[in-house]
Amino acid sequence: MLRSHFLNMVIFSVLVSIFFAFLTQNDRRERLKVMAILFLSMVVLSLLIAYAMYPFPLNTAR
Amino acid sequence: MRSGGGSALVSCVLAWLLPGAGHFYLGKRRRGAVFFCVVLATFLLGLFNEGRSYLADGQQPLTYLATLANLATGPLEIISRHATYHGLVYALPADENSPAAQALLKSMRDKVKEVTDEYGTTYLLTAGLMNMLLILDAFDIAIGRKS
Repeated sequence: MLRSHFLNMVIFSVLVSIFFAFLTQNDRRERLKVMAILFLSMVVLSLLIAYAMYPFPLNTAR
Repeated sequence: MRSGGGSALVSCVLAWLLPGAGHFYLGKRRRGAVFFCVVLATFLLGLFNEGRSYLADGQQPLTYLATLANLATGPLEIISRHATYHGLVYALPADENSPAAQALLKSMRDKVKEVTDEYGTTYLLTAGLMNMLLILDAFDIAIGRKS
């Protein structure tokens, strides 16, 4: 079992970016470009959202 | 319907039966191999992370969509369904208090207790959704709408 949030996110992003790069592009260079853009977008945006959510408490009912 | 090097119906059925097989049939062998590896890896990660297949539940309409996404993985889905419910069950019985429904709910709760269940379930759903897109893509290639 993969218990690391970050590792799961990276693996998921890699698989999804490869999938969509091959689904939408035929040229090798274009595929690599789409793969990189998708992967970086998913990972960087997730980290930014996580950082923005950091100040919020997990349980407000305390 | 036949265009672009193969029958649309055959390519769609093959794509459902085995991820990437539709593309392989249409002559896109490299692309088919990549799709096979990616969908299989996603599905196996789902199993490895204790993901669960969904059951269609009349009281929760969204479970129909989730069950459909699971089914889109093709015959591979039998493995994950068997791992979750120890059999091929696709819908929760109407009477949730019946012994059969209670047994299914217990199997589901056993999976939910696993710490990685959410990840695993997401991987399984994603594998199904990817294969759904592959079926549509194979159809588009077969009718000549896409190269």
